[in-house]
Amino acid sequence: MTREKLIKFWDYYGTVCILLVIVVLFGALSPTYFLQSDNIVQIFVQSSITILTALGEFFAILIAGIDLSIGSIVALAGILTAKLMVAGMDPLLSVLIGGVLVGIVLGAFNGMLVNYTGLHPFIITLGTNAIFRGVTMIISGANPVFGLPFSFIDGLGGNIWIFPAPVVLALSMAVILWFITTNTRVGRNIYALGGNRESAYFSGVDIKLHTLIVFMISGLCAGLAGVLTTARLGAAEPTAGISFETYAIASAIIGGTSFFGGKGRIPSVVVGGLIIGTISNGLNLLKIQTFYQLVVMGSLIIAAVALDRMIARAR
Amino acid sequence: MIVPSTVAVRLPDKPAMGIPLVTMRGIVKIFGGITALGGVDLDIYPGEVHAILGENGAGKSTLMKILSGIHAPSAGTITIDDKPYAALTPGQAAHAGISIIYQELSVINELSALENLFVGRIPVLRRFGVPTVDWRRMRREAATVLTRLGLDIDLETPVGELPIAHRQMIEIAKSLMRDARILVMDEPTSSLTNVEVERLFALVRQLRADGTAILFISHKLDEVRTIGDRFSVLKDGVTSGTGMVADTTNDDLVRKMVGRDVKRTFLNEGAVDRGAQPVLRVRDVTSVDRKRVVDVGFDVYSGEILGFAGLVGSGRTELMNCLFGTMARASGRIELNGRDVTPKGPIEALKSGMAYITEARRQTGFMPNFSIKDNIVISQCLKAAPLRGIWGLIHPGPETESARQQHKNLSIKCASIHQNITELSGGNQQKVLIGKWLATNPDLFIFDEPTRGIDVGAKSEIYAIMRNLSKAGKAIIMVSSELPEILAVCDRIAIFRAGQIVKIIDSHSATEEQILHFALNGR
Repeated sequence: MTREKLIKFWDYYGTVCILLVIVVLFGALSPTYFLQSDNIVQIFVQSSITILTALGEFFAILIAGIDLSIGSIVALAGILTAKLMVAGMDPLLSVLIGGVLVGIVLGAFNGMLVNYTGLHPFIITLGTNAIFRGVTMIISGANPVFGLPFSFIDGLGGNIWIFPAPVVLALSMAVILWFITTNTRVGRNIYALGGNRESAYFSGVDIKLHTLIVFMISGLCAGLAGVLTTARLGAAEPTAGISFETYAIASAIIGGTSFFGGKGRIPSVVVGGLIIGTISNGLNLLKIQTFYQLVVMGSLIIAAVALDRMIARAR
Repeated sequence: MIVPSTVAVRLPDKPAMGIPLVTMRGIVKIFGGITALGGVDLDIYPGEVHAILGENGAGKSTLMKILSGIHAPSAGTITIDDKPYAALTPGQAAHAGISIIYQELSVINELSALENLFVGRIPVLRRFGVPTVDWRRMRREAATVLTRLGLDIDLETPVGELPIAHRQMIEIAKSLMRDARILVMDEPTSSLTNVEVERLFALVRQLRADGTAILFISHKLDEVRTIGDRFSVLKDGVTSGTGMVADTTNDDLVRKMVGRDVKRTFLNEGAVDRGAQPVLRVRDVTSVDRKRVVDVGFDVYSGEILGFAGLVGSGRTELMNCLFGTMARASGRIELNGRDVTPKGPIEALKSGMAYITEARRQTGFMPNFSIKDNIVISQCLKAAPLRGIWGLIHPGPETESARQQHKNLSIKCASIHQNITELSGGNQQKVLIGKWLATNPDLFIFDEPTRGIDVGAKSEIYAIMRNLSKAGKAIIMVSSELPEILAVCDRIAIFRAGQIVKIIDSHSATEEQILHFALNGR
């Protein structure tokens, strides 16, 4: 019984435990800076883009699929939003069209391709990743888009009340999606689809519709992440978002999302994103060079997932 | 050497056949409490074609798997060349020359015929010290075997491009190259044309003449009569008869296959009003390949259970999928209570009032990541029902209430309805799936092998549930490969063969022999 309780505890709070261990570790290695309140706010701000993309990736992995195209969606949405603003459109409207709408449309494109070809999302999004990046380059002429209105950069770089805007955006998105996964029929149907596609089909779940919804959510999250990236850089880079999918997938998996589908929780994915953000922040504080950071980050991802699997196997 | 002839029986009686190659005595196999074999005796002599007969689930495959070393028997001995074994390993079986050709051929379609013949034992030639494939030797040895078998097959073609009959021949040749002395053929003619069957039989006769023992598993009695020397019949996991084919009649064989003279229990009361409008009316249903289901039409009335009996692979499950819209149809009209519903897919089928409890719980039944409650309410939520909240929200109260009601109705044994479904026994999982469909309040239930893999107690509970549903006026279809069960539960029985209903009989006057007769012969 205690063993069962332990397993249940790990299912819910395992990711939080990993985060705590990492916080303690960096706290000990860099006691003067790491635990400063400014730095902790900074971790949240840095993590918000990873968290947003991880939320979308979570849905794709939940149906035993994957979305490799989010990095390119980030870039394309960023470029389009910037172009609209430079052309004189109201920043908020630009974000809604260039970020939100474009993200959803690109996600829907992925979803429709998956539905009509019957190919695994891995193949489809591997292809669309290249397509979207290519389109980004064509539209931008491979040049960054500068001259964004201050209201946009300051708005998304500033605070909403006392909280940083990117954090508010990422966490509200997480809360909305958490609510959808736990309290709506669509959410439950997506879990059903991930748990057993055939059974869900025979039970009357609309497989294609829910696959489409999943990729639309993933696209939306990536689109928003594109807007945030653009605001943070102060310009839209056509090369933005490269390798974002790695961190998004890592966050979802560290957050306990099963690659086989049907298992995973949004709060754990958010914590997974925070773990990635914390590691990168901590390595910066320790003045470890970017190239070495990649090596450390990769190793930590593997170690975290291996630990989780070991505990899962122990049951 | 015995010269083969067109007369099937050449051997007057056992002693003339010499010493058996293999003797199996008192073979018992128990799978997790279910007895698959309860003491089977089998002698295999060199140079005989030994037909193995039996109903679906009589234990034929289990026995063959024991012979080939895949399963270890729970009791009994296998004697090969005077050497007794308690169990064979696949290696020992292969070494003893036992080779099985399964219905699903094990040739590798992407490789050429030549490569297939030598899979796992490709001869090596050292050229300048480097091991290379000795193609010349392979071609020479392959040619020898094919000549001996009188086969003309292009050795270089990928096997996947050859007709099925040729692939089968390659598999036989492969066995012979591995010095097979006992060749087991599991339903070898099921996908062959008449001409190909003739060629196969010619080959079998030649092998027999060379002293190879052939175990011929078949449902087709006329084939057994053409090619078989001796027969053994399995029934419920025991040998119910063995002897010379020539000394027996087909009726006799069928009787030995079923021959259960235990008194029948009738759960059906036979009070179905067939004057009224049928609940389900099916017309001209043909599957898109026009082969697996051909022109099927029937009616099911309120309060009636219609059984579908037939051999495995006769197309019963495919028919059910055609009805539910989960398999493409070339034609067909399906009416529920006089309304044309002909579903395009499971969503329409669910909404029009159909329920389908599939034969494979794990693959097409439940969601393993869901609780009992969520498995029960998922379909109910999709159908227009009070559970459907505004804005697609889940209503936890009514849902739990609905799941509790099914839990109580069906007496599902569980600690809590919020338990994960995988923690339940097979029988209780099945009840959850029945509950899932009950909650959608359908007019028609399709039960496909509803008692497969569940224990006897749970079986009788499921029969009771089905009878209660029929009393409540539902129309029910039950597909089952267990004849006693179908006779006891159903009101009428449709006998299915090769994608068609050959006959519909009243279950009170039906016998197992009769059903098996139609299922085998079609008339």
